[in-house]
Amino acid sequence: MINYRILAVIKRELREKLMTKSFIVMTLLVPVFMFGLIGIQVLMAGYKGDKGTRIVLITEMESLTDQCRGYLSEQDFVRDGTYILSYDTVSKQSLKKHIESSKKEILSEKINGIIYIPSTALKTKKIEYYSKTPNNAVVFEKLDNCINEVLIDRYFSEKDLTDEELNFVRKNVSFDGFKVSEKEEIEAEGFGKTGLAMLFSFLIYMSVIFSSGATLNSVLEEKNSKVVEVLLSSVNSRELMTGKIIGCTITMFVQMVIWLLPVIILTTTSWFALPDWWPDLNIGYGQFIYFLINFLLACIIFQGLSATVGAMFDNPQEAQSGFFPVIILIMIPFFLCFSMIRNPSNPIAIAASYIPFATLMVMPFRSTIVDIPVWKLVLSQLINIATIMLIFPISGKLYRIGILKSGTKPTLREVFRWLKSPE
Amino acid sequence: MPALEVRNLTKIFGEIRAVDNASFEVPEGSIFGLIGRNGAGKTTTIRMLMNIFIPTSGKIIFKGAPIDQTFRARVGYLPEERGLYKKMKVLETVLFFSEVKGKRGKRVTEKAREYLERFELTNRINAKVETLSKGNQQKVQFISTLLHDPDFLVLDEPFSGMDPININLLKDIIQEKRRDGKVIILSTHLMDYAEKLCDHIAMIHKGQVILNGNLSEIKTDYSKNSVKLMHEGDISFLDNHPMVRNVTKFGNSVGIELTDINQTQDLLKLLLEHNVKINSFDVNDIALNEIFVKLAGSAPKEEFNFDKL
Repeated sequence: MINYRILAVIKRELREKLMTKSFIVMTLLVPVFMFGLIGIQVLMAGYKGDKGTRIVLITEMESLTDQCRGYLSEQDFVRDGTYILSYDTVSKQSLKKHIESSKKEILSEKINGIIYIPSTALKTKKIEYYSKTPNNAVVFEKLDNCINEVLIDRYFSEKDLTDEELNFVRKNVSFDGFKVSEKEEIEAEGFGKTGLAMLFSFLIYMSVIFSSGATLNSVLEEKNSKVVEVLLSSVNSRELMTGKIIGCTITMFVQMVIWLLPVIILTTTSWFALPDWWPDLNIGYGQFIYFLINFLLACIIFQGLSATVGAMFDNPQEAQSGFFPVIILIMIPFFLCFSMIRNPSNPIAIAASYIPFATLMVMPFRSTIVDIPVWKLVLSQLINIATIMLIFPISGKLYRIGILKSGTKPTLREVFRWLKSPE
Repeated sequence: MPALEVRNLTKIFGEIRAVDNASFEVPEGSIFGLIGRNGAGKTTTIRMLMNIFIPTSGKIIFKGAPIDQTFRARVGYLPEERGLYKKMKVLETVLFFSEVKGKRGKRVTEKAREYLERFELTNRINAKVETLSKGNQQKVQFISTLLHDPDFLVLDEPFSGMDPININLLKDIIQEKRRDGKVIILSTHLMDYAEKLCDHIAMIHKGQVILNGNLSEIKTDYSKNSVKLMHEGDISFLDNHPMVRNVTKFGNSVGIELTDINQTQDLLKLLLEHNVKINSFDVNDIALNEIFVKLAGSAPKEEFNFDKL
């Protein structure tokens, strides 16, 4: 039951954490940091750094060389000068000599590479690339389709095909995903939901990591400044810990709602005209509510663990070593979520959805991209509640004993002795 | 009925009995001194009173019933190791400690301002605690102990680290609270302060209560054959004198135990004959310190620190 003592502790926590400049800065900075990080990643992945690449394209047949020249010179990356191509026709026997004569230019990077298309490529599609950096994926990405199309054109030119037929041959297979669910309609599904699931995991991870660190330091400060003894003359350790956890959880929850509000509005309302590329997430309030319930339980569990670790140690350095296992409990599920991007139904992910601590992050991720029966969602929450009921008597006891101890860093044996002691 | 009764209280940490079968009673409206040397078990006893430590055995009875949250809500506790939130502002701090005791509102805020003014902290009302001097932080701590108007004040070494002016202010407030009918439990190793302020005491030595009761009655009991002397000059001639059983020095006073109380006039004459300048000569008076030495001896005791267990 929440009494006036717990309320006073909660109010103090809120005054210290929620109504501060650092809360506002943090709330605004995390999305900036997050989108900044994603932006940099996209930018780096998109940056090819291949402007001014000089390639010599050699085939074994004059006609094939001309065909390549004709096709490639029409490409944008050649027209705008990103790639500077020169062409030659050399027989297989003379190739080695030709490469030898170009070696100096290749090594000094006057030429970035030589592509050799032998006559056999018309049947095997095997071509060769000679370069100082022969595994340059950017060059392959840029040129493989073009060369493939030239080879296809050449192969089918003798087969008397229409342009329409030729276009069909040129095309690759394209997969469109359709989600089969309990609903009557079968809906097309893009990658928007995976993005949203990643966002959920990232937000839980960031929020729990930051706030757990803050709680750890706050308990350490109370212990070191000896204010805890004054507090314990008014509130008992259980009330103090409860007040602290509730105060921190409210702060984190408010922060999370602020972070999610724009996403909720964009995905569940039609207030804004969204651009064409915006993915149709087809996600309802229920998913957000499920995520927030899950987040709330994650806050309670990790705040409890952090407060306990803070109470057991005397200084931040020692506390960090005790905090490491807690960090591991947050990090492993976070990495598991990434393994689900390729296959959300992989057996490890399914098992992790029901493992204490891991379920906190894995289940919201899975439930965003896969339809999960309600009973399984409820089961995961029951596991969370069972985790709370199991760890809190232990955490509470360690907190109560640790908070008044000082001196040497407790050993594992001592911690077990605390747990066994009657007080 | 006493306000508070401690019955056979024991606290064991591992192999050490920090408090050993302690019993005493704190009467209503009294200033009760819990006295003893550093590490005697005073703080552990107080922590059990405050329910911070759970006793290994024994009982603490408040108005006829075991102590519970009701008692804690009515107590103002000043621990030996002071502690405040460094980032909190002065007024916020005192109001917070009052709120955890269930007292808040406009009247409490007004009272807080009055106390801050009395302790000359009005101009620091919105300053963060960490910006205050150590002395001023002590004052904030003391106001935090008083603001919710507790019926009991438990003060553990209240005078340590305070300057003489603030010690006097503290003493005045303690006396005021007693006049208002409050009970004050004062733990100190400074016998002089206890002697001047307390009307009841419990003396703790090696975790055991070796003496307790009304201070003036205790002094009467122990002062028979005793003279409390304040003097200038050499009195070493008394050491082996047949009419003197024992001489004990305490700072600027000396306790002299005579073999026969009827010899006080002879003692006075002897001192004058030896040109000793007498500033004070109290017959049948004894310093608390002297009683303590009589009971506990002067054997040094390892300071016990429960934190290290």
